[in-house]
Amino acid sequence: MAASSMKDIKLRIKSVESTMQITKAMELVASSKVRKAKQHAERTRPYFTTLYATLSDIAENNREFSSVYVQDRPVHKTCYVIIAGDRGLAGGYNANLFRAMEEHRSGRDCVALPIGKKAVEYCLRNNIPMLTQAYSLVEKVSLGDCAAIAGLLCKAFREGEFDELNMAYTNFVSMLSQQPAVMKLLPLHYEQQAGGERTPEAVTLFEPSSGEVFNAIVPGYVTGLLYGALAESEASEQSARRAAMDAASKNAGEMIESLSLHYNRARQAAITQEITEIVAGAEN
Amino acid sequence: MSSFHLQIVTPDGEFFDGPAERVKVRTINGDVAILAGHIPYVTALGTGEASVTVDGEVRKAAASGGMLSVTPEVVRVVATTFEWAEDIDLDRAKRAKEKAEERIKKARDAKELELAKVKLSRALVRINVGK
Repeated sequence: MAASSMKDIKLRIKSVESTMQITKAMELVASSKVRKAKQHAERTRPYFTTLYATLSDIAENNREFSSVYVQDRPVHKTCYVIIAGDRGLAGGYNANLFRAMEEHRSGRDCVALPIGKKAVEYCLRNNIPMLTQAYSLVEKVSLGDCAAIAGLLCKAFREGEFDELNMAYTNFVSMLSQQPAVMKLLPLHYEQQAGGERTPEAVTLFEPSSGEVFNAIVPGYVTGLLYGALAESEASEQSARRAAMDAASKNAGEMIESLSLHYNRARQAAITQEITEIVAGAEN
Repeated sequence: MSSFHLQIVTPDGEFFDGPAERVKVRTINGDVAILAGHIPYVTALGTGEASVTVDGEVRKAAASGGMLSVTPEVVRVVATTFEWAEDIDLDRAKRAKEKAEERIKKARDAKELELAKVKLSRALVRINVGK
């Protein structure tokens, strides 16, 4: 009996060891990817923030609402762009995003444009109608694809397929912290500053006209925000995976340690028993 | 000459952040040059040559898409693509031009034609600026 349990433990140790090899390898891959993704996210961040700040400034000073993109209309249908990963094994990366999503969309009639395989699965699971499934691989989405997605979304928004556009993605705060967020993209609407009456100098000149300018820049604006959010999400995913795999490797190490202890105990018990048996035999 | 704070950003990163005396860009309505003390102004960018003057020295660039926004504090050029003249790869631009011309010939519908035309104009601007 002792021999078989020793063999079982040995087998367990072997299996945990091979799992640890995999998690170690995944951790290494993720750490090299996270470096690249982080650089990319940091490079696009000025664009992302400047774009958002500029549009906020513009929309705040806007007094003319001829463009469909700045009109607030009653919200019947909400569209979500969901940026998640292609694979699991990234800790709470996907689950946290979907939880934030769930909270935001409760009680709303919505459609979605998923980016990433997990996002597609999420939509299927929750019966959310999808605008397109063409972007199911988040790693392959380029700036050109972002422009195509933005074109599609803006067209659908203009045609009234939905009345509000949100984007769910994950903010890369640091290597150890990632924050899921839902950001409103359309219609452009910003809090009016207190004070009401503006001095004439503060009025912005739009050329050729406010409506035309908005129609020309909004698709670019959505493209830019999508691209920035993708870069943030990619960096978040890789760092979440790195952290998760690091923890998994550590756990595997601990498990091997405790299993080795058990193994040695079982071995010692078997030897002791054998000696006892021999001694008992000799005495007789 | 008095200067103003100019920022140029694209998805590929920041290209300029600092004082400048003059910035010229191609908007959807034609060329526009901004000097210090301009009133708040917003317009959309087309595809064309851009130039920035710093300390009397003019730097040329190719820019396309995006917008120009002037506020009392800062002038922002938020472009889809932006390349300084010295960074332009002429061979690549020429190849892109040939490819775009071929695509225009082969285009099956209006959308493809439109896309190829945009690509062609972008390549032409880059060749012009890069020369």
